[in-house]
Amino acid sequence: MNDDDDLPNWTPQAKQALDESAQNLDAATLSRLNRARQRALGLARPRRMRSWFVPAGLASACAVLLAVAVVWHRPTAPPNAADPFIPGTSAAAPSGGFSASDLDLVSSDDGIEFYQDLDFYAWLDAQGQDNNG
Amino acid sequence: MRERVDAADTDDSAIDHFLKTVERRALRMAEMATSSRDDAMDLVQDAMFGFVRHYTSKPAADWAPLFYRVLDSRINDFHRRKQVRGRWLAAWVKPADDEVDEIAQAPDTTDPGPLLRLAGNEASLALDEALKKLPARQRQTFLLRVWEGFDVATTANVMRCSEGSVKTHLSRALTALRRALEKYA
Repeated sequence: MNDDDDLPNWTPQAKQALDESAQNLDAATLSRLNRARQRALGLARPRRMRSWFVPAGLASACAVLLAVAVVWHRPTAPPNAADPFIPGTSAAAPSGGFSASDLDLVSSDDGIEFYQDLDFYAWLDAQGQDNNG
Repeated sequence: MRERVDAADTDDSAIDHFLKTVERRALRMAEMATSSRDDAMDLVQDAMFGFVRHYTSKPAADWAPLFYRVLDSRINDFHRRKQVRGRWLAAWVKPADDEVDEIAQAPDTTDPGPLLRLAGNEASLALDEALKKLPARQRQTFLLRVWEGFDVATTANVMRCSEGSVKTHLSRALTALRRALEKYA
């Protein structure tokens, strides 16, 4: 049996009267209800944000650890060890990649052709010293 | 990430929509229980907070009973606090709830009823006055069963009582309302 069968047949009118009383609330009351609702919704938002804190924190920690590991294990060239442009040092580039002299080269105003012929100029210089000696 | 943000927005809009659909009726219920709009507003706000804090993770289909359960709890707390404050008066006031012959008071479901003879605002005011005079549990049962349309089991769950109690409260409420509204007709 339906529960509503127990209700007398005047209850729909009662429901309608109650609906009307709820619909006819004044603007100030509706505004206060709106503010209450917004405050309640504001409670839900920080909770959702907190649920992001753990994964976001873990991701940040992993990124920092990775950065530290990369910097820590980066091979550093001994001073004066491998500058290809200084006679008497190894011509091989440092295994770590760029050196300070590379940066000077890139930022220099001299033509790149000058640096391409640097071996020739070094040889020329050595010949001149031999002739003088 | 974008999907998570969208889901959060959807949750917010779903909660917002739900609260919009219940807030006016909730306020009127609380107002009838407290006879004060300010107190009613506080209760509804507390109920919204409690609902958002504890129950929005539940399926949306269960939100209405859960919200009214929180509101009912807040209304009961309000009455409890009020009782404590005015305990010295209690000795002078007889509880009307236990004095009614249940069988004699059973509603006649075929009678067109007193509200038919009242129109518009007059009916609303008469019903409002009659509801305010009902004992709290009877009024709450009537509002949940008749206005919210909850079935007996859901109403019992909301009010944390047995289905038998719901039927008893409702029967008494209908009888008292009918008697009160006859005066206006």
